[in-house]
Amino acid sequence: MGEKPIKGEQKAFMTGNEAVAWAALAADAEIMYGYPITPQNEVMQYWTRLAPKYDKRFLQTEDELSAGFTTVGGVLAGRRAFTATAGPGNVLMQEPMSMAEAMRIPTVVVIQQRGGPSTATVIYSQQEVTLTCFGGNGEGLRIVYSTSSHQELFDYTIKAFNTAWKYRFPTFVLADGYQAKMRESLVLYDPQAKGIEMVPTESFVGKPGTPGEDRPPAHLRNTYNTEEELFDVLSKNIREFEENAPEITEYEEFNTDDADLLLIAHGIVFRSAAMAARELAGEGQKVGYFRPITLRPFPQEELRQAAAKAKQVMVVESAYGQLLKLVKENLYGMEVPIKTHLRPGVGITPEEIVADTKKILGEGE
Amino acid sequence: MKQEHFLQPVLEAYIGEYASGKSENAVNRAVQLAGLGRKVTLVDLDLVEPCYTLRPLKKTLEPKGVSVLAWDTDELIGLGETGNILKPEVRFCLRHPGDVILDIGYGTFGAQVLNLVEGAAEEPDLKVYAVINIARPMTSSVSAIVEHVRLLNKVDGLINNSHLGGETDLDFVRGGAQIVTEAAAVLGLPVVATAVMEQLAAGVGETDWYGHPVWVLHRYLPEAFW
Repeated sequence: MGEKPIKGEQKAFMTGNEAVAWAALAADAEIMYGYPITPQNEVMQYWTRLAPKYDKRFLQTEDELSAGFTTVGGVLAGRRAFTATAGPGNVLMQEPMSMAEAMRIPTVVVIQQRGGPSTATVIYSQQEVTLTCFGGNGEGLRIVYSTSSHQELFDYTIKAFNTAWKYRFPTFVLADGYQAKMRESLVLYDPQAKGIEMVPTESFVGKPGTPGEDRPPAHLRNTYNTEEELFDVLSKNIREFEENAPEITEYEEFNTDDADLLLIAHGIVFRSAAMAARELAGEGQKVGYFRPITLRPFPQEELRQAAAKAKQVMVVESAYGQLLKLVKENLYGMEVPIKTHLRPGVGITPEEIVADTKKILGEGE
Repeated sequence: MKQEHFLQPVLEAYIGEYASGKSENAVNRAVQLAGLGRKVTLVDLDLVEPCYTLRPLKKTLEPKGVSVLAWDTDELIGLGETGNILKPEVRFCLRHPGDVILDIGYGTFGAQVLNLVEGAAEEPDLKVYAVINIARPMTSSVSAIVEHVRLLNKVDGLINNSHLGGETDLDFVRGGAQIVTEAAAVLGLPVVATAVMEQLAAGVGETDWYGHPVWVLHRYLPEAFW
């Protein structure tokens, strides 16, 4: 065992990708599998710089399909394993992550969204929401945390390992190229020093004893012979996903009582929306925000309660309606009008949101 | 002959980790020299993120008398991560008359990037400064800085640029000055300066707690939002 990478707490100034690498170290991840792609490269780069020091491992595979499958394999062997990718790499990862979903393998994947479709830009977008939540064949039984700062990248990367291993669903940390590359201060910490217990990992295969005699056999499958058999397995998984959802979902809200306009945003765009809402609230306007931290499972009840108190809502995102789709689904049956501020592939400033909000509220008068 | 021809040109390269502040120090140094009426060329040698650092600042810096060697947006097509093309003038930047300040990205490879610059290896007056921020975990202690700087090949001096962005206070800068001073002693290198942002400058004075010059930084990089 190498020494502890972080002792107690330590103030630091770094890029988001580095924050992810340090978080994985702090969470005592054992191995990263990966294939280079911008804007997540420095996750790999820092992990490989740090790995020899702390007795960690890294495998660069030939593509993201393999990076995903080797992550699944590492976890099957009981390793606290993770990978990170973006854009077209996230597309390729969907096949292995569907397998993880089918077999309830607790993989951890960090996504730094870039512009799409295809190779598009290496820079930024929020266009991987649908892909990350629902990109596989199947029902999207995954957990997706959308972070908005370096501190959250650090906190939720650590948390993702615990969520994955506790609930045994593939868990994603969804950020973006801006969060990946920008520099920001944060506090690094040893989870233990904060009282965070890491959920222990265990091997899925090669357990001691004779299968069928000393223990139940490890019968791991992603293939079924009949529709009914698949239906039974899926029904159980769906039930467990839904039963655990209230415990997993996270959200944040502000000024939601009696809002003339409720801004709905996630990830880094949430920061702009929050600044806009606070500025407008400071001017006496009834503007609030609702931010889903988990995009999957979605904080449905909480959003419905907030939306029920609002005259109208506005979905703000750097995509053409991916968060909007989730919001519409979760507000189904409600009559609250939904406005939008959709800017696929580009950043959104608080000033733009303030201007748009003023226009909308002005129209209402 | 004009006076500037008698002056020894300042040739300096700034290297360091991501977020160490190498670009901010390079930009400020270039502006400072230009303010003295010197001819200054600022060179973007960031091979990882060439579009994100000096390019958006060209329009700010050129009226201040700094000639910036960096691509313009319309000169590039979207190569993405496939690679970047070195601007031809960058290869020959040391032949520019006057002072030449190089902002070298991807600090982990350090001075190796200078291999791309004609004459860099033979130029005795080219100084390479490692910019150190103790808020970076891999340069947060004396032993870590010593290890880091030894990996950088040629380094002629250290700059204490310890900061936490907008949350920096003087205690943090002072802590950085102490650690960087101790690391410099182990390495046998001078501490060229302690850099502080202008809001904190009044609390330090002209020299830091260990007698090193204080460089006052105006923060240009927050304007480099692409």
